Amino acid sequence: MAITGREQRRAASADASADAGHGAEVNAGTVDARSASGVVRRSPRAVWWRTYLHHLRLLRAAAVAWIAGLAGITWGVAATFDLRHGSEEELAALAEMEGIPAFEALVGRYVEPATVEGLTLSRWGWFGILAAVWGMLAGARLLRGAEEAGHVEPLRAGPIGPRGHLTTALAALYTTHLVFLVAIGVGHTAGGMDPATSWATGGAMALLTACFATASALTSQLVTSRRRAVGIVGIAMGASLGIRVLAAGSATPDWVWWATPFGWIGFLHEIDQARGRVFLAFGLLLAVLLVAAVVTADRDLHGAVLTTDDEGVGRRTARPVGGQLGLAVRLTAGPARTWGLIVAVVALTFGLMARDFAEVAAELPATVAVAEQMGIVGLDTPAGIIAWTLSLFVGLLVAVFVAGQVAAIREEEASWRIEHLLARPVGRVRWLVTRLVVVAVAAAAIAVTGGIIAWFATVMVDVPITFVDGVLAGVNLIPLAWLILGIGVALFAFVPRLAGPVTYGLVVVAFALDFVGGLLDLPEWVLELSPFRHLASVPAVDLDVPAALIMLAIGLVGAALGTLVFRRRDLQEA
Amino acid sequence: MATQAPVVRFAEASKRFGDTLALDRLTLEVHEGEIVGLLGPNGAGKTTTLRLLLGLIAPTGGHAEVFGIDAWQQPVRAHQQLAFIPGEFQVWPQLTGGQILDLLGTVAGGYDPAFRDELIERFAFDPAKKGRSYSKGNRQKIAVIAALMTRAPLLVMDEPSSGLDPLMEATFQDCLREAKAAGQTVFLSSHILSEVEAVCDRVAVLREGVLVEQGTLDELRHLHASTVEATYVGDPPALDGVEGVEDVRVADGVIRLQVSGSTDPLLKALAQADVPSIQVSEPTLEELFHAFYDASEDLAGSTA
Repeated sequence: MAITGREQRRAASADASADAGHGAEVNAGTVDARSASGVVRRSPRAVWWRTYLHHLRLLRAAAVAWIAGLAGITWGVAATFDLRHGSEEELAALAEMEGIPAFEALVGRYVEPATVEGLTLSRWGWFGILAAVWGMLAGARLLRGAEEAGHVEPLRAGPIGPRGHLTTALAALYTTHLVFLVAIGVGHTAGGMDPATSWATGGAMALLTACFATASALTSQLVTSRRRAVGIVGIAMGASLGIRVLAAGSATPDWVWWATPFGWIGFLHEIDQARGRVFLAFGLLLAVLLVAAVVTADRDLHGAVLTTDDEGVGRRTARPVGGQLGLAVRLTAGPARTWGLIVAVVALTFGLMARDFAEVAAELPATVAVAEQMGIVGLDTPAGIIAWTLSLFVGLLVAVFVAGQVAAIREEEASWRIEHLLARPVGRVRWLVTRLVVVAVAAAAIAVTGGIIAWFATVMVDVPITFVDGVLAGVNLIPLAWLILGIGVALFAFVPRLAGPVTYGLVVVAFALDFVGGLLDLPEWVLELSPFRHLASVPAVDLDVPAALIMLAIGLVGAALGTLVFRRRDLQEA
Repeated sequence: MATQAPVVRFAEASKRFGDTLALDRLTLEVHEGEIVGLLGPNGAGKTTTLRLLLGLIAPTGGHAEVFGIDAWQQPVRAHQQLAFIPGEFQVWPQLTGGQILDLLGTVAGGYDPAFRDELIERFAFDPAKKGRSYSKGNRQKIAVIAALMTRAPLLVMDEPSSGLDPLMEATFQDCLREAKAAGQTVFLSSHILSEVEAVCDRVAVLREGVLVEQGTLDELRHLHASTVEATYVGDPPALDGVEGVEDVRVADGVIRLQVSGSTDPLLKALAQADVPSIQVSEPTLEELFHAFYDASEDLAGSTA
C-alpha cells in the first residue's frame, strides 16, 4: 500500500511525541545508535524553539534597519514638533489642512494635525505603507524565498512538519513586530506624545505589519515563487490604498474608511474613541490570514496550492531568449512591468486628483507658502501638484526599481549564474554594460510612462497640462534613476555583497531626508545631500539642467568606475 | 610526444585568498587530444585551478593560458575555443531548459543544433520545463549538453558528472571518449576515481593547493608499490636486501610482498628459488590516491 507524504509525517510526528513522552521505553528491544553514542535528543518543542531562533536570526539585520528607520523618523517628527511648529502661523497652517479630502487621500484621515499626536499619526498614514511593505517582503522571503533557494529541506528533514515550519517563521516575524511596537511606544512617548496614543500607534503599526507579513505567508503557500507571492500581496496593498483614496472623497460615506487597513490608522486619535474598533479590525484580519496560512501550509515542499505555469511546464516551443542582450531584457522586463504598472496607478491617481488638490491649496495660502519654502513650487496649480507627486512618489518608485535591479545584478554573481556567461566568450564589460543599458532604458521608460499617464489624467479632469510637459515631468526623474544606478554599480564593484542592501538604504535615506528632513530641522547641507532635493518641480518650472547634468555626471562616473573595477576583480560568491 | 603549444598551460600559477594559499605555484600542461583529470579531495584547490583557467579570478602569481592566450588578460579570446561544465549548475528559474541551452549556445558563438537534439535524446532530458523545476541531475544535464553541443576544441569540466545517475554517467563517459576521438581536449576535475580511471589519459593530483604528482596512470603506478603474490616449493626465496622490496610475508608456501620501481631485481631473486606461480597486481587509482594522502598525513604528523 502506498504511503502518502502526509501519513509519513504523521508517523514521524507520532514517533517524536512518543519519544518525548516515554524516553527510551519506546525503543525497548531495538538498538538506538544515537542514545548509545551520546547524541542529545531534542523534544519536538525544543526543535520548534530552535527553528524559531534560526528564523529570528535570519530576520534580525533587516528588522533592525526597518525598525530604526521607521520609528526613528517618526520619533523625530514628534520630538521636533514644538521646534518646527511652535509659532501660531505654523500651527494655523497645519490646522488648515484638517479634513481636506485631497490631503486625506495621501495620508488617511487628518485629525487635529496641529497637535503633536495628530501630526505624528498623519505621518504614520504614509510610513505605515512602508511598514506594510517591510512585512510583505519579510514574510515572502522567509516563507517562499528560503524554499526557492533550497534552504528549507535541511529544516524540514528534521522532526518538524510544514505547519511547524510555518508557525516558527511567523512567530519570528511577529517577534520583530513586537519590537517595532515597543520602539514606537517608547520613542513617541520620549518624543513628547501622550503615552496612550504612543502605545496605541505602536500596537496598530505592529498589527498592520503583521497582517501584511501573514498575507505574504499565505500567498507563499498559494504560489511557487516569491516574486508572485509578493505580487499578489502588492496588488492587495495597492487596492487597499486605492480604497483609502476613495474614502477621502467628500461625498464618500464614512464607513468606506473601514474597508481598508490603511484607513484604520486614521482612527487612532483619542478624540475618535475608536481605538478598540481599530484593534478589533486588525485582530480579525490577522486571525483570518493566519488561519488561512496554517490551513494551506500542509502541501508538498516546492509545491503550491494553486497551480501556475511556475510549476515548471513551459511551452515546448518557448521563444528563444537570444543572446546576452535578450537575457538582460528578459531578466529586467518582469520587474519593469510590475513597477511600471504601480507608477501608472500612482500617476493616474494623483493626476485625477490634481484639480481638487490645486483648488484646495489655492484657498490655503499659508500651506502653499510653507511648501514653497520646502522647494515644492506651485502647489495651487495642477502643474504644481503633478510636479510634486511625480518628483516625490514616482521618483521614489523609480529609484526603488533601480535599487532592485542592482540587487538582481549582484544576485547573478552571488548565485554564480554569471559563470555560465563569463566562461564563454562574453567579456565582463560587455555583460555589465549590456545589463546597465537595459536597466537604464527601463527606468527611463517607467519615469516617462508616469509623466504621460499624469498628462492623460489631467486631460480627463479638464485641467490639462501639455503632453510635452507630461513627458518632461517624467524625463526630470531620469537623472535621479541613473544616479542611483551609477552609485549602485560602484558599490557592486567595490563591495559586492553589500551592493543591494546599501543601494536600497541610500534610496530610503535620501527619500527620508527630502520628505521629513525639513521637519527634523537638519542643516541645509545635509538636506542637499538627497538627490530628491535637486529634482526641479517640472512641469511647474523648467528642467533644472545644471542639477540634472551633475546627477548624470555622478551616475556616469560611478558606472564607469564600477565597470572598470569589476573588470579586474575576482568574482565573489554569496 | 606532442611538439605544438599546449592547449592548457599553468605557469607557476598561484592564488591566495587572504591568509589562505589556495593554489601554490601550479605548473601543468594539457596537450591537444588529451583527457587530463585533476584529482584532489574537497578544498585541495581544484575549483580554484579551473576558475583561474577561465579568468574568473585573478592569479596572485604566475599565469594560466588557453591555446597560448592569457586567461586573465584576454578571457574573451581564450573562451572562444572552450566550453565549460561547472559542478553546481544554477539555472535561471524563469527560463525553460531549451531556452537556457539556446542562450548558452548563442553566447558561446554557435552550436550544432542536430547534435544538441541528439544529446537531449541520449541524456533523456526534457527541455520544456522551467528552470526552477529541474532536479540537480537535470540541471547538470543542461550544463553537459550546453558544453558538448558547441563541439569546442577544449572542454573544461569541474566535477561534471556530479548529480548524474549511473546510466547517465556512462553516457557522459561515452561522450568524453567520442570527444577525444574527434580530437577535442578535455581537462576535468573530479573525485570520482572510477570515472577518472575510465576516461583519463593523464592525472594530476592536488593536495592543499600543491601539485604533488602528475603523469599517465601507468607512470603513477610505476612510482608506487605493486602487490606481488608467488607460490614456492621448498625453501622460500631469499629476498633480504633486494631493491624495491618491502613488507614481505611468508606463510604456507605463499610469499606476499610489495615492490616499488623496477621489478627486475625481484624477478632475478625469485628465479633463484622454485617458484611455480607469480601474480603481480598494480595499484588501483584509489590505492594511489590514498597513498598520496596517507603520505601527506605522515609528513604532517612527523613535522607537527
